Amino acid sequence: MAPPKDKPKLLKDGKRLDGRGMGDLRPLKITAHVLNEANGSAYVEWGKNKVIAGVYGPKECIPKHDQSPYRAILKCRYTMAPFSGAEEHGRSGPNRRSTELSKVIREVFENVVIAEAYPKTAIEIYIEVLQSDGGTRCAAITAAAVALADAGIPMKDLVAAVAVGKVEGRMAADLSKDEDNFGESDMPLAIAPRNGDVLLFQMDGMLTKQEMQEGFDLAYAGIEQVKRIQADALRKVYEEGGKDVVSLKM
Amino acid sequence: MANIVLPGQLISEKEERMGYTFVENGKTYATVPSIQNDDGRLVPLRGPYEPLEEDMVVGFVSDVRFAGYTVNINTAYGAFISSRDTRDKFALGDIVSAKVREVTEVKELTLTDAMSLKGGSLIKFSPVKIPRLIGKKNSMVTMIKDATGCDIFIGRNGFVWLSDKGDVSLAKRAVQKVDAEAHIPGLTDRVAAFLKENKKQ
Repeated sequence: MAPPKDKPKLLKDGKRLDGRGMGDLRPLKITAHVLNEANGSAYVEWGKNKVIAGVYGPKECIPKHDQSPYRAILKCRYTMAPFSGAEEHGRSGPNRRSTELSKVIREVFENVVIAEAYPKTAIEIYIEVLQSDGGTRCAAITAAAVALADAGIPMKDLVAAVAVGKVEGRMAADLSKDEDNFGESDMPLAIAPRNGDVLLFQMDGMLTKQEMQEGFDLAYAGIEQVKRIQADALRKVYEEGGKDVVSLKM
Repeated sequence: MANIVLPGQLISEKEERMGYTFVENGKTYATVPSIQNDDGRLVPLRGPYEPLEEDMVVGFVSDVRFAGYTVNINTAYGAFISSRDTRDKFALGDIVSAKVREVTEVKELTLTDAMSLKGGSLIKFSPVKIPRLIGKKNSMVTMIKDATGCDIFIGRNGFVWLSDKGDVSLAKRAVQKVDAEAHIPGLTDRVAAFLKENKKQ
């Protein structure tokens, strides 16, 4: 489906189409421990994004030739469901984009997972995007971090992610799909909040150095909120007792 | 609610030698969701079984070879009973209890003192919460055994064997209750009340 000829106006009276200020995130809800079979799991609703992550491991590494005698091997699969986007089938199924995202997401967690604790094993991260509306890789990373913690995989930090970008000349945090498609730049970032390390840094479009700096400032402010919601989700599991998950309220 | 610490959370401004932590720049941080005890140590709420020599484990025979038996104890690493170590002969699928004789540096386990657990069934239980299921001086597991008449054998690896005599269903539910609520204080009383309420007359 071709994009409409007239670009929609993305800013109105200094506010974004959904009424948000430039630094505001969309509503974010995270539930940890939502799958019975995975060792760890998390479900994220971020704006209209719906993403679920499941983690297995440490487990036997198959195929054996992948295994390392020094550490666990991380595997990550990011996919989008056929009904996740506005276009029929859209970007669903295995494709170059999902292969790339699987790789860069794996590399995010290779920085924080203490893999040396489990030599010759594999830790598998599965992320399914059930509904997408811009910033799915950030929602995916946010969910996967919670799922890894839920599985008890030792990590140095809980990674949080948010996409910033340029919308009609101004830098904004947490771009929605329209802002991503019709804006001037999109910059997804994943950050380890403890020491501020940037673990994922991608960019579409063009930004000046100044704009990029503004984008980083918005991202660092944004992930303060994300990490609090991640922490609350993990703590909540223990307030209610680790019961078998019977229903998932979406 | 007790103090729950999360991965990356600062535990101490000094370098401490504690389980479930890592040290960076002279400071100590948590690695998995845990509860911090009064003495400052961390008790993990989630995570796989960390084998130690002398641990009793429960599993089922997953491969039979001339040299011995491979036992599935639900970990990433294999557990092996050498044929020379046991007089019994085990069949594929047999449930066994055994002691961990050796843990290599790549976490492969050799088991000894293997015993077949006849009949009954296995439940999966969170390995980090096993101490709670055992209780101080076996208090928790004895309470469940007495109330249900069901024999229970607990493996540190998170497999719990229930015999097929007695009120197996109640025993299973009591064990699952411990798994779900291990971190909430007052568990012993709650389990005692649960067993009393549901005991078949």
